Amino acid sequence: MQNINQHNYQDFLLRYIDEELDLREIEALLAFVAVHPAVGEELESLQSTKLDIETVTCPNKAVLYKNIFPVIVEPTTIVYPNKQNLFKKEKEKAPVILLKWWAVGAAAVFIFIVARYGMFNGEAGGVLSKNSSSKNIAQKNSIVKAETSTASNATKSNAVVTSESLASTNIVSKQQNITTIPLQSGGFGDVASYHTIQNASTVKASETEHSIPSYNGSIIDVKPTVIAEITAAPIALNEAAETQEPNEIIETLDTEAASSNRSVMVGAFEIDKDKFRGLFRKANALFKNKENNKNEK
Amino acid sequence: MTEKDYNESVLLYADNVYRFIVKNLRHTEDAEDIVQSAFEKLWIHKDSVETQKAKSYLFTVAYHLLIDHTRKAKRISLQESFENDTQTAYQENKALKKVLHDALATLNETQRSLVLLKDYEGYSYEEIGEITKLTTDQVRVYLHRARLKLRNYLISPQQVL
Repeated sequence: MQNINQHNYQDFLLRYIDEELDLREIEALLAFVAVHPAVGEELESLQSTKLDIETVTCPNKAVLYKNIFPVIVEPTTIVYPNKQNLFKKEKEKAPVILLKWWAVGAAAVFIFIVARYGMFNGEAGGVLSKNSSSKNIAQKNSIVKAETSTASNATKSNAVVTSESLASTNIVSKQQNITTIPLQSGGFGDVASYHTIQNASTVKASETEHSIPSYNGSIIDVKPTVIAEITAAPIALNEAAETQEPNEIIETLDTEAASSNRSVMVGAFEIDKDKFRGLFRKANALFKNKENNKNEK
Repeated sequence: MTEKDYNESVLLYADNVYRFIVKNLRHTEDAEDIVQSAFEKLWIHKDSVETQKAKSYLFTVAYHLLIDHTRKAKRISLQESFENDTQTAYQENKALKKVLHDALATLNETQRSLVLLKDYEGYSYEEIGEITKLTTDQVRVYLHRARLKLRNYLISPQQVL
């Protein structure tokens, strides 16, 4: 570093004003100024020539920009408060309360239709006995056919009763070795309302063999069947005013003896005969009540 | 330099360049023209100018435009009309500042520019030399002479009285 003296101090002063001195040079100069007051006065006069920084704003600065800065709005994640309140809960489905009687009635009608039109695959041959669950109501098309061995003894009866009428729910089952005739057809749970053939002497029977297809589940089976035709006297009706045409013929569809078979094939389903009869009884009771109500009105 | 860098340069240095020019010219409209020309030149050559050197480039361009303008103005002899034009003259609010402003007017364009670059922008001798195309020693000597001239103007008997 150059020593400060009377010949070079002004250069140091100007450089000091220009802020071009390092720390060592600044200390040396200040020390020299302290020793020489006149140099100090000259330093102050030179400092007055230094311009103060002024804040000046350029007018019309906007014209200087090229392609103004695009305002980019950064996507912000806005979360809706209390979002849970917007959710909708599925209405709890009301429990389905099945009206059993309606269901039973509809089921009974459906089953009857299925059975009526050849889907029934139970023991087609049946025996009209006091244990059968059949009932004749307005049987226009019912045919009762019975075959008896003798007219006097009437020890055997192969009477098989079927009914084609929807209203009549006669189920015919063939039963061998029946010692008694009368041919009975009872209603569902109503023992009193059944038809009775008075005596065997009034019955006329004949037998013919046919090959009739029967439905056994999904199998259509063609079986040779024997059809027995029984011509009976007009059947006396009970107080329920049931009407029945004379000379009803019950036609058998199957001659197989299957008293042990307790099931009925309805379509692809196998239904117990007792339950099946129970449904029919309930349906009959329902329709009977309705009819009574109408008659009362 | 990208477009974004250029616009940032406008934001950062437009006021400074304008102050430098308007202090030299003491004429706002001419100063605006020079500033616009300087930035326009920067925009044209933005691909060859680094972002870090944008300020020195602007002042270099503005200084040369200033010199050109001053020389042109001298030929036209409109300097006095600028001083008397109250609408375009640079207005000094304080007496000391006005005296100093008047003292700057007594300097030539180079000395005045050196003083302004040194005091307003804080450039070093080397940087001023790059802007004004002078050597470091020349800058130092010219600047010292300018300050002594300013001091002599301030302590002159006319100013004291």
